[in-house]
Amino acid sequence: MTTILCYSRNRATSIEQVDDQTLISTCSLQDTLTEAVVRIRVQFPELLILSAEGKFIRTAGSDSIPMQAALEKIKGVRIGAGMKKIIRGLISEVTDNAELPYLIEECCHAVILAFTKDALMLAPKGKAKSTAFFKKMVKENIRLYNGCAAFAPGSPLVDGIEI
Amino acid sequence: MLKFQRNKLVTVYQDKPGVVHVHGVLADDIFDLEIDFAVQIDEMSIVSIQGKWNREETPECSRALPFLEAANGFNIASDTLAQQINKVVSRKACPHFANLLLECCLAAKEAIGVVQFTVAQKEQQDLTFADYRANAEAVEKIKPPIVTAGGSPQKEHVALSEPQRKPMRKSSRDFYIDLHTHSFPASQCSSAGVDELIVEAKRIGLDAICLTDHNIVWSPADVADLIQKHGFPVFRGNEITTDQGDMLVFGMQEDVKGIINLGDLKKMVDSAGGFMIAAHPFRGFLVFNTSQIGMTVEKAMQRPAFQQVHALEVLNGKVTKQENRFAEKVATGLGLPTTGGSDAHAVGDVGKYVTCFQRKIENDQELVAALQTGDFTPFRYRQHIMRGEQRVG
Repeated sequence: MTTILCYSRNRATSIEQVDDQTLISTCSLQDTLTEAVVRIRVQFPELLILSAEGKFIRTAGSDSIPMQAALEKIKGVRIGAGMKKIIRGLISEVTDNAELPYLIEECCHAVILAFTKDALMLAPKGKAKSTAFFKKMVKENIRLYNGCAAFAPGSPLVDGIEI
Repeated sequence: MLKFQRNKLVTVYQDKPGVVHVHGVLADDIFDLEIDFAVQIDEMSIVSIQGKWNREETPECSRALPFLEAANGFNIASDTLAQQINKVVSRKACPHFANLLLECCLAAKEAIGVVQFTVAQKEQQDLTFADYRANAEAVEKIKPPIVTAGGSPQKEHVALSEPQRKPMRKSSRDFYIDLHTHSFPASQCSSAGVDELIVEAKRIGLDAICLTDHNIVWSPADVADLIQKHGFPVFRGNEITTDQGDMLVFGMQEDVKGIINLGDLKKMVDSAGGFMIAAHPFRGFLVFNTSQIGMTVEKAMQRPAFQQVHALEVLNGKVTKQENRFAEKVATGLGLPTTGGSDAHAVGDVGKYVTCFQRKIENDQELVAALQTGDFTPFRYRQHIMRGEQRVG
């Protein structure tokens, strides 16, 4: 039986390091109804958004979205804990479009994941050594404890850790 | 060369009326995972969710899979879907499955719109998708009312499991206040009712607590009632989200909503004669910290935000020891006063860290005056209770 899709979505996010203190994070979305891209320049180690640009290439709605005016709002915002609330609050002052803050958040999230990847590349191979590596990580940052199933009580990764 | 790349693919199909099937894939440099579920269109609810790991971060990530079932029944059109996914799937299963699930749900909602539009267009051939969507949005449910401090029923009181502890012996001059607490429902992120927080603060021998719910101004009358009910000092503060992070504000009555520019907030605080503290200024990330990406005390001291605040919170109960130590070094470098607060979101958090003043404080005005003297220190209160130690005042 032929089963034709009624909808599909692709979202690609990438991080490019352009110099020793600047990253460019780009999130592009292409789905049945929408095509859009947002690109932010981020200064590290502050993880400060230096600039943002973007474009809605195709939308299903009739309203125009003031993309650039909204993106101006997030200049100077720091990527980190609490950023979602700040981004949504600032963007909502300009537009109630739901996709735009999501595109920005994905850009910011990818910046965090890029540095997370650097940290995880230090994880040793082999279950025993790897378990010890992650257990040490939890001890050093107790916010990880019970933050997901892998770090929940009962998991070997938190075995013996008291909070 | 790219430093990191993430790709997400969501596909939706319908093989029988009333149901759509959703398949999502998330593949990036760290993870590779998949989700499959169906959505019943009449109820917009998730059924039969299943997940699969292709490449994991830790040796225990597979533990997440059984917890995905908790998403069965979620309404994908709900205004609180993202919060539900965060609370249930992210915390109990895995944040990356939660990310993919949210993407899939947003896609499924749009896909159902496409399916329904296709049906409607058969009846009305000149109907455009834009017109169809505008119509559909107009009939969406009205959002639930915003919960305000003290305005909704409190959670049922939970009996304290720990035995009554003898209050810590302390210098008669010392006055310990937890300057940073959150109560439910004023702060939706908290699990502790305000009465529970106060009962616990009394139990552990604190001298007072300050309610600093997110962008909520407690009314003087409500707080006076709490003081009378518990026979315990309760002060009013506010944790305000600015474009430069969270600020603890004392002595200002304005009810700030949304995200405010830090400079604008500073003007309001100064004009009210209030006091502003940068809350958890270096709250960082889960797997790496900012020093690992090149942050130094000297660089951090240059943050413009620190020119606008009166003090830094350098003992915060929700950040790591390293992050607190880093904040302390920055405050020392800048010559700024330092405070401590639990940032309690649960009863057991109260008093983890506090601020120690050198005099008794009886009301909000005295608290602001005491803060303005700079004569206070952050203090690890619960740690000292556990050791039964006496602090030299």
